[in-house]
Amino acid sequence: MKLREFAYSRSGDKGDIANLCVFVYDDDNWEVLRRELTVEKVREKFGGLVKGEITRYELPGTKGLNFVMAEALGGGVSRSLRTDPHGKSYQSLILDIDIDADDEIKPRLA
Amino acid sequence: MTQKRISIGSGSAYSTDRLDWAQELADSGLVDYMGFDCLAERTMALAQVRRLDDETTGHDQRIPELMRRFAGFLGRGGKMVGSFGAANPAAAADDVLRGLKANGVVGVRVGVIHGDDVLDHVLDQDLELSEMGVSAQAIATRVVSANAYIGADPIVDLLGEGAQFILGGRIADPSLYVGPIAYEMGWALDDWDKMGTATLVAHLLECGTHATGGNYVDPPYRVLDDIAHLGFPLAHVSDDELIITKLEGTGGAVDIGTMKTQLAYEIHDPAAYLTPDSTADFSHVWVEEIGPDRVRVGGATGRPRPDKLKVLVGVDEGWKVVTEISYGGPGCVERAQLGAEVVAKRLEPFQSGIDEIRYDLHGMTALFEGQVPGGDPAEVRLRVAARCDDRETADAVVFEGQFLWMGPAGGGGVTTQMAPAIGVTPALLPREDVKLITEVIDA
Repeated sequence: MKLREFAYSRSGDKGDIANLCVFVYDDDNWEVLRRELTVEKVREKFGGLVKGEITRYELPGTKGLNFVMAEALGGGVSRSLRTDPHGKSYQSLILDIDIDADDEIKPRLA
Repeated sequence: MTQKRISIGSGSAYSTDRLDWAQELADSGLVDYMGFDCLAERTMALAQVRRLDDETTGHDQRIPELMRRFAGFLGRGGKMVGSFGAANPAAAADDVLRGLKANGVVGVRVGVIHGDDVLDHVLDQDLELSEMGVSAQAIATRVVSANAYIGADPIVDLLGEGAQFILGGRIADPSLYVGPIAYEMGWALDDWDKMGTATLVAHLLECGTHATGGNYVDPPYRVLDDIAHLGFPLAHVSDDELIITKLEGTGGAVDIGTMKTQLAYEIHDPAAYLTPDSTADFSHVWVEEIGPDRVRVGGATGRPRPDKLKVLVGVDEGWKVVTEISYGGPGCVERAQLGAEVVAKRLEPFQSGIDEIRYDLHGMTALFEGQVPGGDPAEVRLRVAARCDDRETADAVVFEGQFLWMGPAGGGGVTTQMAPAIGVTPALLPREDVKLITEVIDA
């Protein structure tokens, strides 16, 4: 299943660094999110879009993750030649990640 | 003794944000204060470009409309704080004074914050421009501006002097709200947990309608009512609780989802959100829905503010050009790719003047660079974007982009853009080197 089916996200930008937060609709899916949405999975999805390091932080109070991606915006909003220099669309790309946890999550979506 | 409290609304999240909905909030009587963020990294650069071109500009261009719309709010004693100054606070102050007069508002004390221009320090101290991998002196001829982020301190000072309308240049987004909250609540600027708390409220307000559903709706998973008319958010702050809500009758939502996504917007380490006012810790923040479009938030703490202030350094990047052309029907992707190839070939003589150039196919690769398969689209749009050292090279890129009229077959709808490029890159300056000056003008 896609991450989009049980989580939502938003992008932010500071200089050439993009951040992507991800939260679950249902708090019961928080542990699945923590376990499944690894830096490796995000790295694989974003490929060459992120040239620097990806760091994952947790927000236990709100049950969310925050991915901070260095060198991800073509030099930062003011210099970038990208169509989307802010990386606003990245929030949709991360939700396209495949998560292998149907058995745990699908019953809770019903 | 009556309990201290403040009601503060968001009035703007960027330099061209709409003012009509913000006026609705101001006129509702629900708020004593309105905060106006008028800048982003990109808009600060654009403001510097305007000021370099004409030294009487470089400030927020909405001030005449702003004063017309908010004359009533000011007349009722409402207070406004904004980064209207951008690259030119003095010019913004002139516009505000003119606007007050034109709209018959008298007795308003205007506070102006000067001194965020730290260009001399950046060059004298040869500050490291980490994202560019050079120091300031190495590219000194191209460094055109430097503005330090301003914190809540001068805002608190000016409120203490009775200012009702406060403006400055690169005031940090949260500080626009932290200043009024600290002043009205009597929170000390070195009470770090209180500063973390004020920063939480500020952070939830500073992006305007993004926090009420703007950058949120994603059918069929996230659907909100009446997003055609979003409400700006507001906060009721007391020592007992922090409430975020929005004007009744407006669209969008203030709920757990909109608040959580705003909470994490543009933060890196949630336990160390750096602003000029504190190192705020949002990792244990909680959000609780207590009514329709009404949440209670809490759990923020803080640690001492950073010793260094972030500075946005403007760097002359020559010219930025973009050209676009559309292809449709069978074979459209192949023709667009061929178009890109011939432009690249024709621009070979200009290679030395091109700092960076990229070719994207809208509908295929522009946003995700091939990370998501593009399929077989009905149409694509070839976009050529370049940063060029000089005008002659920029003209050549525009010319060759336009010349795609002449083939491959079926290219239509050419558009071109060219503008001077000022890049903005961060640096860090010791706090004591930034000498802010506050000025009070009685209108």
